[in-house]
Amino acid sequence: MRTPVSGTSNSIRRVGFGLFALLGAGLALAHHSFAMYDNEHQVKVAGTVMGFDWNNPHVYIELASSDEHGETKSYTVECASPGILNRVGWKFNMIKPGDKITVIIAPLKTGESGGLLKQITLADGRVFSNGGPAGKPNIQ
Amino acid sequence: MCYSRPRVRTLARALGALVILTVTGSHVPGLAAPGAAAADRGLTGTWNRYPQIDETPDPKLPVPPPVGPPPLKPEYVAAWEAQQKAAKEADARGQPLFTDYVQCLPDGMPAMMVAMFPMEVLQTPGQVTIVQEAYNQVRRIYLNEKQIPIEDAEPGYWGHSVGQWQGDTLLVDTVGIKEKVRFRGVPHSDQMRIHERIRLVTPDFIEDRITVEDPVYLTQPWHFAWAYKRLPHYKMLEYVCDSNREYKDPQTGGTRLRIDQHDSGAPPAAAPK
Repeated sequence: MRTPVSGTSNSIRRVGFGLFALLGAGLALAHHSFAMYDNEHQVKVAGTVMGFDWNNPHVYIELASSDEHGETKSYTVECASPGILNRVGWKFNMIKPGDKITVIIAPLKTGESGGLLKQITLADGRVFSNGGPAGKPNIQ
Repeated sequence: MCYSRPRVRTLARALGALVILTVTGSHVPGLAAPGAAAADRGLTGTWNRYPQIDETPDPKLPVPPPVGPPPLKPEYVAAWEAQQKAAKEADARGQPLFTDYVQCLPDGMPAMMVAMFPMEVLQTPGQVTIVQEAYNQVRRIYLNEKQIPIEDAEPGYWGHSVGQWQGDTLLVDTVGIKEKVRFRGVPHSDQMRIHERIRLVTPDFIEDRITVEDPVYLTQPWHFAWAYKRLPHYKMLEYVCDSNREYKDPQTGGTRLRIDQHDSGAPPAAAPK
């Protein structure tokens, strides 16, 4: 049986303004550059955590979100490394499958459903960054 | 010779304490390993590259200038520039070059001293050890030893380093870096030698002035520097690169992110407690 994913607040907003000057192509995110991601056109996605992979070189969140037509879409959200995240307050067990979260991501330039995390809001309202190298969100 | 009973008891207690100290070693609060104090010139501790990307520099702490281009011999300049151009074009395509670092290989010397992640410096008698959190990299600098002949240096990621103190500055000489271990993509030969001047500017601020020499590839020594600020109370984390989702695109050769698709929107069963 399908369980509906967090459905109502999961619209995806594409905001195409503003250059985020701190983040240029080639800046290193510990083990590769940011160039895979479109930092200018960040999007906000709300959904349900399907997987939380806390490992090096990067932490990943698998997120399932419904669009405005009720279609479910999966996202692979690339986060920084456990070390960087620890230093900005994350814990290895603070996210679990089934959690409802909201993320702001810089989407993959290829158009695939993945992105680089800029900011995460947990179900309990706590907000975390993805560490200094990954940069800040340019949308709310 | 005979001892009175109280004296024997005192001696026994002292011996007992000695045994406890020997067994527990540095785990006894306030006690360091023998010789450690003499070995410590103030470098021991954890350090963060300064300034961090999101850090506003302190006017009192000088920021080293950006690393300039390598003084390559003319015959090597075109290839290096072409590689830099290819890297920029790959970035523009959204598929950065699939480098060794992306493949989870350590960056070695001197790139390791970029200190993308915190580093720990340990001073023990006869040795300074530098641990870089990213990729668990370790380099050992043997103090007051003569450097081995460069042709005897077995190629590796961190090379063979010897050092000596000159006042407040640790002078380090490193040879034996694998030719595939490249900083900023700059080629080098087995004749490359890295000199460092690691100086404690203040008790909480280090600078590392680096000079790379290579008679095969460089016209003159290549100078650059990095700085580090003490990261008090930080405990280094392990870093094993065992979950790499970046892969090489078979068509373009660039870096791609593996997307794990789920065929259902159903949340998985609750995580085990």
